[in-house]
Amino acid sequence: MASAMTDIANADVRVDVNDIEKSLSELWRGQKDGDDAVTRAALWNVVAHTSTSEFHATASETLGRASASVPQRTIVVRSNPAAEAELSSWISANCHLIGDGKQVCSEEINLVAGGDRIHRVPPVVNALLIPDMPVAFWWLGDLPNEHEDYVELLLESADKLIVDSVHFDSPADLALVARIAEQTSTSPADLNWGRLEEWRAATASIFDPPDMRSRLSTIRRVRVIAGSSNHEFFGESIESLLYASWLSAQAGHNVESSGAVEGVAGTIDYTFERRYQSNDVGAISLVEISFEDGAVASIARDRERGVLVANVDGSVTVQSVTRTLNQRLDELIVRQLKRSEGDKVLRRVLPIALKLAKRVG
Amino acid sequence: MSVVAPAIDANPLREGLEQERVPDASCLVIFGASGDLTQRKLIPALYSLAHDGLLPAGQTIVGYARPDYTDDAFRMAMREACDKFARVRPVDDAVWDNFAKGLFYVKGEFAEPDGILRLNAKLKECDQTRGTGGRRIYYLAVPPNFFPVIAELLGREKMVTDPEQGGPFTRVIIEKPFGHDLASAKELNKVAVTTFRERQVFRIDHYLGKETVQNLLVLRFANGIFEPFWNRQYIDHVQVTVAESIGVEKRGPYFETAGISRDIIQNHMLQLVSLIGMEPPVAFEADAVRDEKVKVLRALREFPRGHEIDAAVRGQYTDGSVLGEKAIAYRKEVNVDPHSNVETYAALKIFVDNWRWADVPFYIRAGKRLPKRVTDISIHFRPAPYPLFNKLTNVTMQPNVLAIRIQPDEGISLKFDSKVPGPTVRTAPVTMEFRYATSFGAEPPEAYERLLLETMLGDSTLFARRDEVETAWAWLDPLLNAWGADPRGPELYPAGTWGPEAADRLIERDGRKWRRP
Ligand SMILES: NC(=O)c1ccc[n+]([C@@H]2O[C@H](COP(=O)([O-])OP(=O)(O)OC[C@H]3O[C@@H](n4cnc5c(N)ncnc54)[C@H](OP(=O)(O)O)[C@@H]3O)[C@@H](O)[C@H]2O)c1
Repeated sequence: MASAMTDIANADVRVDVNDIEKSLSELWRGQKDGDDAVTRAALWNVVAHTSTSEFHATASETLGRASASVPQRTIVVRSNPAAEAELSSWISANCHLIGDGKQVCSEEINLVAGGDRIHRVPPVVNALLIPDMPVAFWWLGDLPNEHEDYVELLLESADKLIVDSVHFDSPADLALVARIAEQTSTSPADLNWGRLEEWRAATASIFDPPDMRSRLSTIRRVRVIAGSSNHEFFGESIESLLYASWLSAQAGHNVESSGAVEGVAGTIDYTFERRYQSNDVGAISLVEISFEDGAVASIARDRERGVLVANVDGSVTVQSVTRTLNQRLDELIVRQLKRSEGDKVLRRVLPIALKLAKRVG
Repeated sequence: MSVVAPAIDANPLREGLEQERVPDASCLVIFGASGDLTQRKLIPALYSLAHDGLLPAGQTIVGYARPDYTDDAFRMAMREACDKFARVRPVDDAVWDNFAKGLFYVKGEFAEPDGILRLNAKLKECDQTRGTGGRRIYYLAVPPNFFPVIAELLGREKMVTDPEQGGPFTRVIIEKPFGHDLASAKELNKVAVTTFRERQVFRIDHYLGKETVQNLLVLRFANGIFEPFWNRQYIDHVQVTVAESIGVEKRGPYFETAGISRDIIQNHMLQLVSLIGMEPPVAFEADAVRDEKVKVLRALREFPRGHEIDAAVRGQYTDGSVLGEKAIAYRKEVNVDPHSNVETYAALKIFVDNWRWADVPFYIRAGKRLPKRVTDISIHFRPAPYPLFNKLTNVTMQPNVLAIRIQPDEGISLKFDSKVPGPTVRTAPVTMEFRYATSFGAEPPEAYERLLLETMLGDSTLFARRDEVETAWAWLDPLLNAWGADPRGPELYPAGTWGPEAADRLIERDGRKWRRP
């Protein structure tokens, strides 16, 4: 069987849409009990929704890699109402060596739907989900504002909706995610929020020393500098926005609907600056937090050494160094899938981000 | 709208982060910093914690030992240790540079008051420069006979403070062996509590730092389905195996005084038995968990007086071969008495005399130079009450076995019978498997990482409490004494086999067999 699996690994086998499950079990038949060279495993159902072949390829490749860390049943959907009517499918396996010559394989199902056939996608996907296993829905690209029924049906079984807000073209997209968080049982997960994890950890490290903790309530000014392309695109500012919203949410600041921020010590001045950068557009490069007594904490990315360095002037607190995390798409997805629970902090942050969005151009 | 300042006892910015719990910076002093444990385990574990962002900025580590190191030379030696032994390699230069800034060295003898004074001065200096606020953790990576001397000096120089007395915390970590028998363990504990309070003492049993050992608690108490079966009504017997393929290597002198019973059974194995046998704790908190564990130890049936050795088998390896390589007899190992009667293998049949486990035997065995390295627990269930299918098939149905693999290839499997496809009713045992590597991919952290972090956080759930250690010795002492007085010595077994034949008889006379782990 090991050889049969290896044959299929990463090779696509076209199958009839109605026979997908049967074809998958044929992949496995013949593996004798106790023959543990190949193991089929799944911790998640991951459904990637795409609309172009480019995104489809990205999703397939990314989830193929992610399945090495989080075995899953992967379903990649490419659905385009404007394309010719069709519904086709193929299956493959993503196999990874785990040592001792053993392999763990995740199944991948691909569905391509065009024209009015896209309406068959939700029921087909739902029928293919492994029971009792959580479902993550990864939406690639900008969020849809049309075909509402279709989206609703697809998301019905999703425990987690993964988006990447760097692609959002307006605050309406952010509002949609905030609404999903508030009104449905689907937990939102944002890869852009995942990119912030190292900034959150580095900022938190400043306030770890017991005598620094009380300083949280004496913040007066926050300056966030991020990379920017030449054209103004809303998605580029979201990382900074989420960062500021998070700091406010966790420090207990009050954010007015106008975007004004009040702390215990009075108004807090947030400034968002953009600096031209050809890559890592939208990524934060420097944060400065000024306190009531004039002290300033800064967190800066040291790209060469792969760390964020946090300093507070005028304090015994020694420099803290936070390793930056791998920001490849599959790593970001893996970090989301490693958490089965919903992200309470993100839920808290989203409505604040919507208010602060009024402050970015 | 008024804004209320958040409570400042926890750092609210840590909420939801992977590094949700980061301890307050302290000075961690390693006594015995030039030793094997420091290089192979402690510094690599501390570096890995720094790598994962789990150490606070300002965390300081001060090595104390006899060699003539400068801070820089000590840092270089520790860097080499990390290059060889850290879990995450290659070592990240940026993380290392910052970590190394918090590494210092003080030269001194353990019993030298001046050395301890120099150490104290260094620690106070670090409080000023690194914000460690007088918080101290003393790691005694030293031979146990030095413990009293060091404890006394620390006490005398007022280097021990306690939050209950209004000072910053001081904690002390001690390594096994916790004594040689009940009397010496009590003596050691007495010394400990003259200088420290019990809650300041963290006794390391590195088995408790293993993810899979902790998972025993999760398996039992986070799942509703196991607990109803976890008792004498459904369980026929339990087996625990701790097998090592290596011999004593360089640890001959230590092993000559310990034997496998003191080295493995008194601590690691009895910890496993407690975790399997304990009642659900009222909370996942240090004392709640340890209260339940110690109850299991208290319920261990005493060895029958005058017949202690009947319930146990001891063995010692002779020449043989392990995994195809020649292995020499224990008595030929370096620094081992050529007539040694020390046991390198022991198997015991034990009972936990309480309502849950009455008359359910626990067969436990540990040995060196066995065919492979494996730690494995298996719960053997009673057979189905009526053999419905035997008449049809002439095959004896196999009892269900829940196997928990602690190391290597950590995981859990359940064996049950299934129908073999075909027109006749034939059955065959199959297994349902969960493997850590398959489901979670990433390497779990080293036991020492978890245990060091827990000490810094002040949580002693995963450490042995004084009464656990003493109860375990009180139970085992009679057997050790009986073995000591028995001129027959251990039964020999060739290296590379599963121990002496008497061990097979121990279980087979009950109509059972050792599981092949
Ligand atoms: N190694 C392990 O994997 C392991 C595992 C479990 C438990 N343990 C326990 O951990 C403890 C330490 O083990 P180890 O293997 O690291 O021992 P080791 O290699 O012998 O190291 C002992 C350390 O103590 C120092 N030392 C000894 N006498 C001293 C004195 N009078 N003054 C100052 N320093 C002195 C030694 O310094 P010098 O270099 O000057 O001799 C060395 O740094 C022991 O209790 C052992 O049972 C070890």
